[in-house]
Amino acid sequence: MSTRNSLMGKAKFNDYVVYIVCALIFVFFSITLHNKGFFTGRNLMNIIRQTTMISVMAVGMTFVLSCGEIDLSIGSVVAISAMITAVLLRYTGVFFAVLGGLATGAVIGLINGFFVTVVRIPSFIVTLGMGAIAGGFARLITNLESVPVANDAFNFIFGSGDVGPVSILFIWTFVLLLLGQLVLRKTRFGRYVLATGGNKTSANYSGININRIKMAVLILNGVLASFAGILYTGRLHGARYSLGDSDLLLVIAAVIIGGTSLFGGKGTVVGSIIGSLIMGMINNGLVLMGLNVSLQMIFRGVIIIASVSLSLRGAKEG
Amino acid sequence: MSDLILEMDGIAKSYGGIEVLHGVHFDLYSGEVHAVIGQNGAGKSTLMKILNGVTVRDGGTIRLDGREVLYGSPIEARKHGIGMIFQEFSLVPSLTVSQNVFLAKEPRIRALILNDKKCEERTASLLHEIGADDINPRQLICDLSTGSQQMVEIAKALSSESRIVIMDEPTASLSHKEIEKLFKVIGKLTEKGISIIYVSHYLQDIFKICNRITVLRDGNRISTKDVSETTMEETINDMLGERLIAKRTRTRPSDEKAADTLLEIKDLSVGKHVRNVSFTLRRGEILGIAGLLGSGRSEIVGAIYGVLKKSSGEILIRGNKTNIRSPRDAIKHGIAMVPEDRRKQGLVMSFSIKENMIFPILSKILKYRLIRDREGLKIINGFMEKMSIKAAGPWQIVKSLSGGNQQKVVVAKSMMSDSSILFLDDPTFGIDIQSKQEIMNSVSEFADAGNGVVFISSELDEIVSYCDRIIILKKGEITDMLDCNKRSDISEELLTKMIQ
Repeated sequence: MSTRNSLMGKAKFNDYVVYIVCALIFVFFSITLHNKGFFTGRNLMNIIRQTTMISVMAVGMTFVLSCGEIDLSIGSVVAISAMITAVLLRYTGVFFAVLGGLATGAVIGLINGFFVTVVRIPSFIVTLGMGAIAGGFARLITNLESVPVANDAFNFIFGSGDVGPVSILFIWTFVLLLLGQLVLRKTRFGRYVLATGGNKTSANYSGININRIKMAVLILNGVLASFAGILYTGRLHGARYSLGDSDLLLVIAAVIIGGTSLFGGKGTVVGSIIGSLIMGMINNGLVLMGLNVSLQMIFRGVIIIASVSLSLRGAKEG
Repeated sequence: MSDLILEMDGIAKSYGGIEVLHGVHFDLYSGEVHAVIGQNGAGKSTLMKILNGVTVRDGGTIRLDGREVLYGSPIEARKHGIGMIFQEFSLVPSLTVSQNVFLAKEPRIRALILNDKKCEERTASLLHEIGADDINPRQLICDLSTGSQQMVEIAKALSSESRIVIMDEPTASLSHKEIEKLFKVIGKLTEKGISIIYVSHYLQDIFKICNRITVLRDGNRISTKDVSETTMEETINDMLGERLIAKRTRTRPSDEKAADTLLEIKDLSVGKHVRNVSFTLRRGEILGIAGLLGSGRSEIVGAIYGVLKKSSGEILIRGNKTNIRSPRDAIKHGIAMVPEDRRKQGLVMSFSIKENMIFPILSKILKYRLIRDREGLKIINGFMEKMSIKAAGPWQIVKSLSGGNQQKVVVAKSMMSDSSILFLDDPTFGIDIQSKQEIMNSVSEFADAGNGVVFISSELDEIVSYCDRIIILKKGEITDMLDCNKRSDISEELLTKMIQ
């Protein structure tokens, strides 16, 4: 009896640890960077602005990991979708450009899904290879040239705009948070994703088409990654092949810190968004500290490993 | 009896050109508990998978209420009112009780949104129906005991209004209390007219709760009998077939011939578990240790083998005092051990039979530090034949073998090394009767060749059949030592009484 209680205690601790870590890091930076302007409205909105793309991808990755799979191609999907959207904007309007960008992600997700469910290659390998392919295409499209975007409507809606004091990116984060949490917690699809990740055999015997679920999750993740690419494009008024380069690690770390199981069956979109904010604060804080890029990299890695270790404590019972 | 609700006729199935079911007949009355038994490989799980829609049959008909039905998936089977309770791995551990019970058939608000409240209420009433009120619908499956998980499984089958519930080895991992509870639930289900197909190795349970027994052997139906009109002996005969009826009992070497002592244990103590145990093991002898779980029987061999630390005592091998501190030392002294948990301790599950069996003979087949595969295969094939390991060949992965054949590989491994002392810790637990006999026969041969065996078993009839002397172990102390050559009254009943 006592062991069961302590296990539940640990599970609970694990569920809340993301908030504790978030608060700790926030307090730490607020104090140490007090005179460098960390704790100002402008900087905090800035953090959210910088974090939105990570948050968007983290929502998708929550579904992927909950389902017991992984998608390592998202960094390149960001790049190629951004490039395609930016190039399309030269020829068509916002609607078709965005549609084209999202379709790119969907198609890549579909191909990933095909190899995972039909050819039965582990998603780890498929998406690793797909990342290289998509990354190559992102470079090929314009021969490494970046593509500026001068469409004001596009730039406003997808990144640079403000509604009153609130950045449009904050609104996007909020909308995706609500939608993602609703779908994962309150719909059949979400339940099937968790069941598939928790126990494939059982899900299958219960009548769930697990291949269709995996396929859907990988497509959804592709679409969300390409949406992140579109947001990058709108925020930076242009696209480059290097967009999203270093995001994969941040996204996976954010989702794991948030409390989603790396082994499937357990996921939380809210946790992933908080995890993303943690990543954003770390990035922002390290910059404000005045560390150079090399040191930032090292510290980021150390902090990520430390916080994931903390959040996995007690969650290893599987 | 009441109405016939299910008839399966001429069911046939082949895997890779080998027919495993040869036109099997099976029928079921409403409100009946019908046992399906047979050795591993008899075809009972294939038959159940066909009924449950997991496997598609090659031939034959299935009639429900006299009407022929066709279906090819568990979902469709469920729509016909057929539910299955699996041996393991059938619930999602990270979801709650109610989420599992209504998985893939969740009540919803409108088309999209799930209705968790309704789901929980309905789960609670289902659990109440089967008398499992202690389970909270909101608990996570991974926080529940095995017995409670099984209750959830039953509730899950009921939630889809199953009229036929297949139970596959439902008691295998339950405690006595939980088994009693399960039997009560089965009673409640049959009162409602639900029929149970009960697949199990435990004959005593079957005679307690079933109405009829169907015996399968080698893909054929051998018999279907009312429990009141048959006996356990008859059922076992049906299961084993003609060739195995005569149970081989060991011809025990007479005491005069009993030669030198192989192993002598003096005043062995292991923590709280074993106190001042002394015994000897002679050449050509099988020495049984009869004791309940927790009597210290595993700790004795564990301490001698160097897995556990002994608190005091001496171990003499062929008269020489030894200091064994690890399994490595024990192996050097010619001791081999078949551990209690074969999956964890005895085998590399993802390796082939050959890769597993080659470990103990590596030093014999090395030449210039390279493995001579052909030499190894010769030895391995010999042992596979001797132990009648049923496999496609030595390259078959151990994980895909039946439990009985896996255990044969473990036992073969322990005999292949040049050991002269063999410890067997419950080697026949959970495996089919034929494999048991084949394993014990080869153990007998091993002893007859002048080696010594220490044999622990939960099944006392095996100790009676195969041992030359029997240690009675109670709470870590030896209370008696029986010599089977001198006493003729040794029986399972006697041992059962003595170890209490």
